[in-house]
Amino acid sequence: MDVGNLVLFFLAGLSIAAVLFIVTAGLSLVFGALRVINMAHGSLYMIGAFVSWFVIVHLANALFGFWAALLVAPLITAIIGAVVEIFVLKPVYGKEHLLQLLGTYALTLIFAGLVRKVFGADVRSISAPAALNSSVPIFGHGFSVYQLFLIAVAVLVAAGLYLLLNRTGLGRNIRAAISDPQLLSTTGVNVTRLFTIVFMIGTALAGLGGVLVSPTSSVDPGMDSNVLINAFAISVIGGLGSLVGSLVGAVIVGLILSFGFAYPPTAHYAIAFVFAAMVIVLTIRPWGLFGRAEQ
Amino acid sequence: MDRLRALLPSARGDRIRWGLAALLAVTILLVPNLAQVAENAFPDSVSARFAIFLASQALVLGLWATSFNLMLGYTGMVSFAHAAYYGIGAYTVAIIAHNYHQNAVYGLLAAPLVAGAFGFVTGLIALRAVRLYFSLLTLAISQLLFTIAFEWYDFTGGDNGIHNLVIPDWLSDQTTIYYFIAAVTALCLLLMFIVVRSPFGAALLAIRENRQRASSVGLSVKAYELAIYTIAGLFAGVAGGLYAIYDLQAYPQLLYWTTNAQPVVIALLGGTGSFLGPVLGAVIYTYLQNFVGKNYPNEFDIVLGAIVLGVVLIAPGGFVSLPDFFLRLRSRFRRRPEDERVELVESAGQAMAALEVSRAVASSAVQVDPGAAEPAGPDQRATLLKVNGLSKSFGGLVAVRDVSLNVKQGDRHAIIGPNGAGKSTLFNLITGRLKPSAGSVEFDGRTITGWADYRIARAGIGRAFQITNIFPRLSVRQNVQYSMLAYRKVTIRPFGFADRIFREEASDLLESVGLGRYAELAAGQLSHGDQRALELAISIALGSKLLLLDEPTAGMSPYETQKAMELVRRLATERGLTLLFCEHDMNVVFGTAQTVTVMHLGRVLTEGSPQQVRNNPDVQRIYLGELEASA
Repeated sequence: MDVGNLVLFFLAGLSIAAVLFIVTAGLSLVFGALRVINMAHGSLYMIGAFVSWFVIVHLANALFGFWAALLVAPLITAIIGAVVEIFVLKPVYGKEHLLQLLGTYALTLIFAGLVRKVFGADVRSISAPAALNSSVPIFGHGFSVYQLFLIAVAVLVAAGLYLLLNRTGLGRNIRAAISDPQLLSTTGVNVTRLFTIVFMIGTALAGLGGVLVSPTSSVDPGMDSNVLINAFAISVIGGLGSLVGSLVGAVIVGLILSFGFAYPPTAHYAIAFVFAAMVIVLTIRPWGLFGRAEQ
Repeated sequence: MDRLRALLPSARGDRIRWGLAALLAVTILLVPNLAQVAENAFPDSVSARFAIFLASQALVLGLWATSFNLMLGYTGMVSFAHAAYYGIGAYTVAIIAHNYHQNAVYGLLAAPLVAGAFGFVTGLIALRAVRLYFSLLTLAISQLLFTIAFEWYDFTGGDNGIHNLVIPDWLSDQTTIYYFIAAVTALCLLLMFIVVRSPFGAALLAIRENRQRASSVGLSVKAYELAIYTIAGLFAGVAGGLYAIYDLQAYPQLLYWTTNAQPVVIALLGGTGSFLGPVLGAVIYTYLQNFVGKNYPNEFDIVLGAIVLGVVLIAPGGFVSLPDFFLRLRSRFRRRPEDERVELVESAGQAMAALEVSRAVASSAVQVDPGAAEPAGPDQRATLLKVNGLSKSFGGLVAVRDVSLNVKQGDRHAIIGPNGAGKSTLFNLITGRLKPSAGSVEFDGRTITGWADYRIARAGIGRAFQITNIFPRLSVRQNVQYSMLAYRKVTIRPFGFADRIFREEASDLLESVGLGRYAELAAGQLSHGDQRALELAISIALGSKLLLLDEPTAGMSPYETQKAMELVRRLATERGLTLLFCEHDMNVVFGTAQTVTVMHLGRVLTEGSPQQVRNNPDVQRIYLGELEASA
């Protein structure tokens, strides 16, 4: 394999990492502030992708449809997130963590059933918007502009989250919630509402990931579990609750997948390598590379 | 409150449950006959063969879900890898029968061993982590195993799996298979029942209730978790092997993590707090799958999800807690004498009042005049705890500086001093929560400096009253009994009835702390003061010779304080315990202590009898000084 190929697989790995980072950042943010693992996070990603398909095919034309979907899908998943947080999570806060796991697990079943009922079990595909549907030459090979676009969006999202957390009042409260929610509630901050907002941001990121991925892979009812497994692997590698960890973990997993798929002998086991990486990290640091040890 | 009740079922609810279990057993035996009767009556709509097939399925699912519940219900672990061990069991039978052309029943014997071995090895990895991380890790392990089954064409048949298994002729009849499955299932259920009721099972319950407390009563939590994870995997292997025998196939989807929805839903449906709940859940699930799932395949997931959600949000006790639910409902309308005890504790205030009376009666019998009724002065006694030049610094801050202290056998020794004197740090150094920077601690003739906290606890230093630390959903008696089991290392025994061991001893102990009448209540239902009394009982059950009490009466009313200290003094006298406590309330200190050590800024300022300390000008100065400083 020559240098050009290496660079290509590296870039392809980064573009996989881009979507995975956006999705995992949402999962991790929610875990950090609410101490809840949202098993239904992958379902919202899937819903984002299906909404994107619906908007592009049925509502807007292919030219503007994608950009409309980029706005509409995260909005819808944020609203679903608010409903879920208020009606499912609020009653189980402070109870055993297994009730939270099982409650959001129940939602994955419900969302999977709803998506299949509304959209059917067909596999669909969407093409990238015209402006991005081309390729640029890199080391003599063509590389998709859309994949470069994904990397750019991920950088923007990372910067946006950084600014949100470090430069705004909301971000200050979220960070306070991450370190000690009980203390925060004594300072007059409406923690109940803050949790809803954080959960909405998290599910909006899942929806955004769903829209972004839709032109690069098929849109089908099995997407939820595939992305969830990867997002879990990333948060375990990087450390739950850490955005830096999500970023590093996503890059690791993205590169493993990209290079794993590159060679025929390893292609079938690319996913297994991700879990091997996860097991190695956990054996050495059970709380992940950037996570905090839980008591 | 509902949850507390669900886990500590009433005697009458228990009788109803045993009745249900008997009914279930009879029904299982009669299924082939009933199916035949039904087919004869409605030849167009019922097929006996299919009905028996469904019953086989229900039994296998019930066995699988029961093994899952060993973790979920009894230990509080959420594993997403349980489907993997089920799948491995099925593949073991399929590979032995298909690849090696051996008798499939041999495969069934191998299935638990293979699944158990996988469970043990993967459990070692998964249990590196706790709680949520553990759950995520099991998910990864399950996906890893799935990927192997899915891709290894030569051995597992890849994505096709292995089909059309050949089973021995004597098993090929539908009814025979059914009875065979019923017999294996019954045997496995019996074995699991023995395990959960054993002292080993008691240790699991303690872990589920309070991991930290379980480890401080001397249980090696990880080892128990690994053991139950392996055992659960082993029985899942049996269930998977049985599946391969009645459905004659094994395929990768069996290992997929979403397949895990089945044991989750079944266990929740039937009730995780009850042993037979999952079996009942499996019957309901099989019905749903075949009548809802067949006619509305898209809606089936939604129905399952709604059930799980409903159970989580409304009735965590599941279907099996319904007898108690109805009994409770009825007792709201009809008050009967036997309900009275439960009604009494409905109100914490009433419970408190009732308790005060019982305590007053108990303590008036053993009225102790502090300091006067001692047979020998503390000075003539042996030294139980010897602290020598102990220091602890956090970075540049020295919290405890060169502290030496002798606590005599049977003494009631108080440590006083203004805030920041280093009292709590000293306690943490003695109990092993913190490691000293310098100095040594000797207890009962042994040097215990730097020991892990659970070892120090086993050596006989108990700590109570700092934060309430009990097993809230176990009964008051079980709290004490299981602590005795753990302390005497009986909990490694996976047979015998845990609740029958040390029962009398536990009752006596509870009687002596004034909790005798509440023995069968969930500990979490006790009032705050009573929970502290229970903690004392646990410390005694753990064989503590020295009790460390860190501000025992913080947050108590003067009346509660008086009662609590009376109890502590009485127990110390009756049981020959040595007390070391720190306290701000000077009435408590001078009313209880025989020796007082005064600490100030991390050092020992002075030590002596209460009278000497009271008259010491230095002591008056630091307390007054503090008053001036804070004024």
